[in-house]
This record gives sequence, structure tokens and C-alpha cells, in this order.
Amino acid sequence: MRRVSSASKAADRVFKVATGICASSPVLFLLAIGIIVIVQSIPTIHYMGWHFISTIQWNMGSLYGSMIHKNGVSVPSGASYGALVFIVGTVASSVLALIIAIPVSILTAMILAYRVRGPIGFVLSILVEILAGIPSVVVGLWGILVLAPWVSHQFGPFLRSVFGFIPFLGGSTGSGYGLLTSGIVLAMMIVPIITATARDLFRQVPLLAREGGLGLGMTTWETVRYICLPFIKDGLVGAIALGWGRAMGETMAVLMVSGNAINILPHNIYSPISTMAAFIANQLDSAQTDATGMAVHALSEMALVLLVITLFTNLLARFLVNRTTRRRSVKAGANG
Amino acid sequence: MSLRSNKIFAGAAALATIVAVVGCGTDNSSTNNTMNTASNTSAGSGNASTSGPVKLAESGSSLLYPLFNDQWVSAYQSVDSNVQLTAASTGSGTGISQAIAGTVDIGASDAYLADAQMQQSPGMLNIPVAVSAQQIMYNLPGIKDHLKLSGDVIAKIYEGKIQYWDDSAIAALNPGVSLPHHEIIPVTRSDSSGDTFLFTQFLTDTNSDWKNGPGYNTTVSWPSVSDEIGAKGNDGVVDALSKNQYSIGYVGISWLDKATQEGLGYASLENKDGKFVLPTTANIKAAATEGSQNVPKDERISLIDEPGANSYPIINFEYLIVKQTQPSADKATALKNFLNWAIDPSKGNSSKYLTPVNFLPLPSNVEPLSQAQIDSIKAGQ
Repeated sequence: MRRVSSASKAADRVFKVATGICASSPVLFLLAIGIIVIVQSIPTIHYMGWHFISTIQWNMGSLYGSMIHKNGVSVPSGASYGALVFIVGTVASSVLALIIAIPVSILTAMILAYRVRGPIGFVLSILVEILAGIPSVVVGLWGILVLAPWVSHQFGPFLRSVFGFIPFLGGSTGSGYGLLTSGIVLAMMIVPIITATARDLFRQVPLLAREGGLGLGMTTWETVRYICLPFIKDGLVGAIALGWGRAMGETMAVLMVSGNAINILPHNIYSPISTMAAFIANQLDSAQTDATGMAVHALSEMALVLLVITLFTNLLARFLVNRTTRRRSVKAGANG
Repeated sequence: MSLRSNKIFAGAAALATIVAVVGCGTDNSSTNNTMNTASNTSAGSGNASTSGPVKLAESGSSLLYPLFNDQWVSAYQSVDSNVQLTAASTGSGTGISQAIAGTVDIGASDAYLADAQMQQSPGMLNIPVAVSAQQIMYNLPGIKDHLKLSGDVIAKIYEGKIQYWDDSAIAALNPGVSLPHHEIIPVTRSDSSGDTFLFTQFLTDTNSDWKNGPGYNTTVSWPSVSDEIGAKGNDGVVDALSKNQYSIGYVGISWLDKATQEGLGYASLENKDGKFVLPTTANIKAAATEGSQNVPKDERISLIDEPGANSYPIINFEYLIVKQTQPSADKATALKNFLNWAIDPSKGNSSKYLTPVNFLPLPSNVEPLSQAQIDSIKAGQ
């Protein structure tokens, strides 16, 4: 038996402590952020109750005027914190981004996994990864300079003239700053994430199964539709959930092209919107000049709502994945 | 069993370390301060000048940042090499809250502190260092002359009560100008901004509905107007205006040249005397001179809509927010010396430093009031 020197014992102890610190830090960070956000939100929860998520009037009140007392807290007179505009903006823009990004990502991933080989495949893969690395402020700048005028002058009027009979696609096409532009910008940012994951998933489909499909006379599309997609469904849902979370939390690019609506809900797909993340970034500086501190508490509660919605979409994705796997194992059991 | 207890030990050790680190973090500032005091007092102390090196940290307004970063920091280096001035552009609100918390020595702000904030943090001084202005800009193809507008009309546009450019209220101010029948797109600043403070203060002073509604602040609860655009920063507003015909917005004076190059026009505004004036240096100076006659002891005052035939209505003081009671004698001396230098028209307040960043020097009768405030800065706990 090897004699353990004191030096190596000490090294082992350092190793244990170091791994202990590192391994517990994600949990502690999450706890610290969660606790601070919740504690900071409590005064607004007292003041606004459920109206926080059901009303659209956001007003910090008159910070240069008098303070009033209500529900056990003091607030600037006229203060009202209704976050519905920002909740709707966040959900609508991220769902629109998913609608655009999912088909684009899946088809791109399929091409990358099955269709292109050698240098072209390599270059395409690299390009997708570079797209993922573009800073969001650069995407936002492109959105302002190129996308917003295009949506305003060409794409918006085109959509309206072809699909104008569908609700939310008709009406005024606005200035180009709004829901549609935000959705496209967000889609650009989440396409690389979903594509990269989906490409790796497609590559995991056993060659034998795919060849079997082709051997049965299936077209390429049928092989993908009936063999590959069912095989990678679980992972794909996870990849989409990841992209959705990213789209909801994205701040800078949306802030630059959304039109930053306040006190008004979007009436069609071209209307200005505002998302929770962008609104927090916009208002935090002013909120700090509120002597009662209530404005900062209100922004904290908005951060809490954003956290809860992100968590909820994540859980929803997991639930969908679990349900499909369970159904499949039940089926397999019945067959056996 | 022993493996299990080992694991628990490692976890506990990790927690303890993190708690210790966090503990240090919260104590940091006070430790630093005491260290500074120690090193400074050990080198002996004087009243007129500082003995050892002193750091003065400034943070806040992005409008004041170029004045500090491009002009004052290097200039003051040659005045007193013992004082190391640092500047950061964090936004007025952050600057104010950091100055109150004591994490920076100077908070730069486009707005003076509200009464409620003064009550909550007594002993904060608001010292004006420069005069700034703002113009109302629009994108109206075919209109060459400066459009005449009043605060009341602009407020109604931002409330959605005036929706078209050829509205009778606008036409009445501009006889003979053929105004287009197009919807007005109002542009606002989405981020916290001193420009929003000035603009909404102007609307508050000229329109009673605005006064009782959104009021004034660095961000306000804008009335809902369906095509209104919120843009980030003065550059974002200029972009939104130049990309959207028939839009209107407010832009800081330092962006005037760039915005007119983009094809934007700017309005001639109705002042308190009913005259229409442009944001020229002479008109801004005239307004500042009028306003300086009513400056109170604590110098917290709005310079919006001053009387006088030539007074341009949207101007304000840019402020430095400092604590009256400084942590050490050296810090107090360094801060006093710097502020005295900054308000002196032959030194920091000369147009040599202010003109490149589009500010105007303080009116001369404000200086004694600032002097009195600066003299009240003292060391203590």
C-alpha cells in the first residue's frame, strides 16, 4: 500500500475545498439573485397586488412632488406600476422569433448534417457559429439602419397587402420600429443556437435507420419527416426552449428596434412594443432617483416576473419532452 | 460514513469561504476610506492644498462626461498633480445615488435633486457648473424655414390631441406655411435622460394637462400615442427622426450640427414674452442671465421658460452633486479646490473647455452662491 505523504493529503484537501466552492457557486448565485429579487419586490407586491401583471399604466409618479402612503408603503403621488405592456411585448416578440427561427434552424441543421460535406459544410458550420457570436448591440444597429426601414417601406406593406385579412397583419404598418422588427432581430439571434443543437441531434440519428428509410423508397423529405424528426424530437424541444429563453431575456438589440412603447398595447404586428428586459435597462437610472425606492422595487418585481416566465417555459419544455418519452416507452411496452 | 462527513465538511468550508468573501466585499469601501485617511494624515495636513495624493471619482450624466473626460481631467492634472480625477458615464440617476452612498465623490447630473431626496439625504449640495440647452427637431420634407411652435402645442402633440401636421393649432402659429396632412410621429427618449427632464419640464410649465398628467422627470409615463417611437440616446433619436418623415422629437444642443446635416429642421419656440426664438448662443445666454436672478441658496432651480424677449425657453443648469461632509480633511480640501476651479470663469468655467462640448459658462451672479455652498464643505463623520 502506497504511503500518502502529508503534501498530497494537503493537496487533496485543497482540491476538495476548491471543487466544493466551484460546484456550489452556481446554486448560490441563483439563490442570491432569486432571494434579492424576491425581497426587493415585496413592497411593490404590497402596493400593486395582482394589478402589477394585469394593468398597462406604468408611471413612476411625480418624483419632484409629494409622497403618499398606501397599503403600508410610501410611494410618489400618482405612481402606478402595471407591467402588462411589457409582459405582452416579451411573450409576443419571443414567440414571433420562434415562429421564424424554428423552420429556418431545422432546415439549416438538416442540410448541415446530411447534405453538405467537406469544405462547404465546414465553412457553413463556422458561419452559423460566427452568427451566434455577433454582439447584440451590433445586431441592433443593423436592425435600426437596415431592417427597420425595410420593414417600414417594403416588407410591412407587402405583408399587409397579401395577408391583411388575417387579424394583426392588417392596419397601419407604422415606422418599422416594433413587434415585427424585434421578432426578426430576435430570430436572427436564436437561429444559430437552435441550428447548432439540432445539427448535432440530426447527426445522432443512426445511419441504419436513415438508410432503411431510403431503402424503402422514401424521399429525403419523408426520411427526415418520419424517421429523423421523431427520433430527435425530445432534444429538439430542449433546443427550442433554450432559444426561447434567450429571446425573452435579450435586451440591447430589442431595446434599439422595438420602439419602446409605454402605456399602450400593440394593436397589430407592426406596432411599437417594449420588453421587460429592455424596459428594466431603460428605466433603472431614473428609478434610482425615487426617494421612496418604490420604482426600483417595481423594476425588481418585473425582473421576478421575467424569471418566473423563463422558468415556466423551461418547465413546459421539460414536461413536453417527458410526456413524449413516456408515451413512447408505454407503446414499446405494449408491443413487447 | 467518513466519506460522507468529508463531503459535508467540504461543502461547509465552501460556504464559509464564500460568506467571508461576501463579507469583505461589503466592508471594502470603509476599509479603503480609513486607509486613505491614514496615509493622508500621516503625511501631514494643510488647509490650502492637499498633502498627499487624493483621488476624486466622478460618475453620472453622459452629457457631462465629455466635459470631464475630454477637458477637465487632463486640464486639472496640471493644476494640482496631487489630485487624481477619474470620470465615468453611468447616467445621472446612478451618479446621484452613488454620490449619496459615498461610492463616488462627485455625482454629475442634468437634474437637481428632488425635495424628497433632499429630505432623505440632507447634506447633499447641488452645484451648477454649466448651462445646457435643447432644441425641438422635426423631419418635414419641403419645409425650409424654422417652424414656429409653442410648449402648449408640443404637449398636445405628445398627448395625442394634435395628430396631423396641418392641425389648426400648428397652422395658426405658422401662417403662410403649407403644412402636410400627415400624421405626426412623436419620438421620445426611452432611456433615462436629462433631455427628457428638460423637455417634460418645458411641457409642464406651458400646459396644465401635462402638469397634472405625466409631469417631469428623467423618464416619464408618456401618454399612449399609437405610432410613438421610443429611441435610445440622442443618436437613436436623431436616427429615428431622420428615418421617419413627419416625425418630431427633442435633441440635446450638442447634436444640433449632426442632426441638421441629416436633413432635420429645428423649431423656433415661443418664449414667455410671446416671442419666437432659436437656440442661439445669444438667446441661451439671455435666458440664463434672466434665470440667474432667482437662484435660491441651494441653487436647485429650473431655468425653463424664463421671461425676456430674447430668452430661449429650454435651458438648464448641469449639476455636480457632492456631500457637504467629507470623510477626511484632505478629501474636503481637494474637492473644494476642484469645485472652485470648475466654477471660476477664468479657469475651469472658461469657454475654452465648455465650447467644445457645447455648454455655456455660468452667469456671473451665480458664482457667489456656488462659492458659499463650496465653502460649507467640511471634513467630519
